Amino acid sequence: MVISNLEGEIASKEGERKRKRKGEVRPSQSKWRLDSEQKTYSSKLLEALRCVRAGAPAEPSRTRAVREAANRALAMAARGQTRWSRAILSSRTLKLTAAKRRRAAASRLKRSGGASQEKKRPPAIQRKARVLGKLVPGCRQLSFPKLLEETSDYIAALEMQVRAMSALSEILSSIGSGSGAPPPA
Amino acid sequence: MSSSRRNRITDEEINDLISKLQSLLPESRRRNTSRASASKLLKETCSYIKSLHREVDDLSDRLSELMATMDNNSPQAEIIRSLLRS
Repeated sequence: MVISNLEGEIASKEGERKRKRKGEVRPSQSKWRLDSEQKTYSSKLLEALRCVRAGAPAEPSRTRAVREAANRALAMAARGQTRWSRAILSSRTLKLTAAKRRRAAASRLKRSGGASQEKKRPPAIQRKARVLGKLVPGCRQLSFPKLLEETSDYIAALEMQVRAMSALSEILSSIGSGSGAPPPA
Repeated sequence: MSSSRRNRITDEEINDLISKLQSLLPESRRRNTSRASASKLLKETCSYIKSLHREVDDLSDRLSELMATMDNNSPQAEIIRSLLRS
């Protein structure tokens, strides 16, 4: 009896949360400042790092693997609520070359289309908005207001990522120096 | 239909979004400028994101190096986990 009630409560709370999230983007943005969120992220990142250590011994690819693991863990922390996080999770390194090709084609199109679009907004802002759209994953074709929404969440998430990775590297470096084991030659 | 609607976003909506964007940037919090131009804010936002990306790159590099020392002791992982939990 008690268990089924609890399940019902949890289900209804989750439904509530989902409904709230669909309506408001703001609460999800402030969650990146929560200590609990950062700790969860740090643990997930640590787990991912151990997998990286097992899989990729060579130097340059290990850094890239670390960055990808960190970004993927960050995207998962967003729980599918934002476009940038979904874009990170659905893309891999394969998308890099496709993105470069798209960029070349898009800049050609933009130059021909920008001259005729001087009606409402100055081209300078449009140009900068495009640059921003390229920086935030998966947000190239987004409308301006949506882009700004995604940007604010993305920036908050990145700040948390930097805090978590800094803290983790502090811990690792202090443990490393204290362990007394000499680094492998 | 939707594309023409996109071009006709009111200036008011844009200003509203821009002020929200301004609150995100660290410098604007300190300087407390009430009306920085949209263009300048967009530029600052782009450079801020780029600098965050660079920080993540540097940290990835550092973590990658530090991971080599993790190899030898697996009890370290336990210590780290408990530190993270506290």
